[in-house]
Amino acid sequence: MGLNRRVRFFAGLRYRGGGPMWAWMLHRVTGVALILFVGTHVFASFFMQQTGNDFATTINIIYESWIFQVIVAFIVIFHGLNGMRIAILDIWPRFQMFQREALWLQWFIFIPVYGLTVVILIQHGLTGGY
Amino acid sequence: MQVKLKIFRYNPEKDKKPHYETYKVEAEPTDRVLDLLEYVKGYIDGTLSFRRSCAHGVCGSDAMRINGVNYLACKVLVKDIKSSKITIEPMLGLSVIKDLIVDMEPFFDHFRSMMPYLVNDETPPGTERLQSPEERERFDDTTKCILCAACTTSCPSYWANDKYVGPAAIVNAHRFIFDSRDRAAAERLNILNDQFGVYRCHTIFNCTIACPREIQVTTAIGEIKKAIATGSLD
Repeated sequence: MGLNRRVRFFAGLRYRGGGPMWAWMLHRVTGVALILFVGTHVFASFFMQQTGNDFATTINIIYESWIFQVIVAFIVIFHGLNGMRIAILDIWPRFQMFQREALWLQWFIFIPVYGLTVVILIQHGLTGGY
Repeated sequence: MQVKLKIFRYNPEKDKKPHYETYKVEAEPTDRVLDLLEYVKGYIDGTLSFRRSCAHGVCGSDAMRINGVNYLACKVLVKDIKSSKITIEPMLGLSVIKDLIVDMEPFFDHFRSMMPYLVNDETPPGTERLQSPEERERFDDTTKCILCAACTTSCPSYWANDKYVGPAAIVNAHRFIFDSRDRAAAERLNILNDQFGVYRCHTIFNCTIACPREIQVTTAIGEIKKAIATGSLD
């Protein structure tokens, strides 16, 4: 009887939930990326120090390059701020009537913090860092 | 104005796969999407199937995805859509029976699991069970639910796993948990203190945005999370 209830990935993506839904998806993606990148960095550092493995050293050089750090900074700062927004709204549900404003406030904090971080990373990168 | 309606079609007796059909319909800006569906069914293609009953935003029968977001077809005006192309699809996360009709039984099963009725075995007073305006106000918002399923079927957590009770069931639990006359709050909180209870809610707000009655669904879920965490209904 009827079609299966299964919601395919792209069907879900096509749902127009707006800003809060995109923030949630980005939170998921940045969460996975954090585990992947930072985890790889930790393992690579361990093997680089203990064995001097060339592959591990290469991974760390890429990870610590300023271009990659610009990406990592986005992931860390967005995930941290979005997580704080959600935690605050969960702990004090009465603030949820301002959830749209909370999302704007999050970007209002994110843009200068991330912008400044990127400027510092680029300055550092162009003046002799990786 | 002319409106191009692109409608999800699926007839289990004929179609192996669903498809979309497009109809060009003359419409006034003040027409509702339901009026356009009625026009298609009445004058162009009588096989089109969809649910409707009161047609005034009370019964909750005609919830569907309109241009990618859940609405009641009877509450959306053509002029509010701001496009002459309107895509109409069934709600996500429930199996499609035919065209825009979905199987609501799993949704009502979750609703029933919340004991959506007053539980109070104390000897009834001679008059009504009185309540102060403040006590009534505590759960006023969640009394407005019309069980249209727009919230539950907009929730990515429900799409991922239909064992999750979903926002509508939690809203209806909230309606009784915070009712001063009810005595089964602990039992309902215990049901919701489960991996498929309130903790599946990731505070995404799709449900709040989709609710045609403007119930603060995520806030209601948040209040229940807090009641479970603190053990207090205050």
